[in-house]
Amino acid sequence: MAAAGNVALIGDVLQFIGAFVSFSIAYVAYRGVRETQSSTLLRLATAFAFLGFGFLMEGLVGLGTVDLLPGIAALTTSFVIAGLFLETTGYFFLAFSHAVDVLLAKRLGLALLVFPMLTLTMGQLTDVLTILSFYFVLYGVVETLYAYARNRKPDTLLIAGGLAFIAAGTFLQWLSIIYPPVNVISLLQILSKEIGLMMLFIPVLQFSLGRKWNGTV
Amino acid sequence: MAQYRTQMRIIADVLSTAKEMNVEGNGVGITTLLRKGNMSYSRMTKLISELVGSGLLVELSGEKASRYMISEKGIRFLAAYRNFEDFAQSFGLRL
Repeated sequence: MAAAGNVALIGDVLQFIGAFVSFSIAYVAYRGVRETQSSTLLRLATAFAFLGFGFLMEGLVGLGTVDLLPGIAALTTSFVIAGLFLETTGYFFLAFSHAVDVLLAKRLGLALLVFPMLTLTMGQLTDVLTILSFYFVLYGVVETLYAYARNRKPDTLLIAGGLAFIAAGTFLQWLSIIYPPVNVISLLQILSKEIGLMMLFIPVLQFSLGRKWNGTV
Repeated sequence: MAQYRTQMRIIADVLSTAKEMNVEGNGVGITTLLRKGNMSYSRMTKLISELVGSGLLVELSGEKASRYMISEKGIRFLAAYRNFEDFAQSFGLRL
């Protein structure tokens, strides 16, 4: 029982770290929007802002369930759905950024073939949101790998790897719906997402440090 | 395979040409911009008037034809574009 509580607490801390990483990426992208008026960066900033709020919401839910924020416990279901909705919206914007890139380049996205599978119907809203998140991230992985094949930048491969970890985490989240009592799956899915987010954070760090070193701003 | 250029990339290319080809300090002509920009005359003139209007390029009136020079705002934009282009590329996206 105590072990389950510890797992939940670790999970909550990881959710807050996820929120921090997501907001950091959103902030850098937003600075790019202000300096270049780029719609690509606007979509990226929106995606990670939604993801950040999603992780924050899920972290708060976790604190409610381990009695650190008892006031939230009564609203757990609403918070869980809101958190998942925000997270799915974030992944949607990430996938949407790639879809726009594909359409502008007038080439058919290989991963667009994945979308017809979205017609799967699920009974519960949370299940549907989790599945949608999985497909959106998977689409992001395929498109980022395609971009890597074009530009051969190690950072792009790193982001593709990060997104693959997030996709694995989302898939495990899906499994944790089917097998709710298995805490190991819950922890693994959060860990997988965190590793993925950390990998996404590396280009942000490089960018921030690089700007300071170059003194270009 | 030909690479698709986004509108922002085209703007950056034009500004970059205006900066790099302005060796004598009296700006660059539209012919140079056309040659380096790889686009039609009508599209280039429309783009130039937009860039002049937004203050990224400065129009210098010459005896025969206008010449163009990158402005301070244009230099700042170009630096920001180069920084964030790299960032966006890391995510597999193009500015």
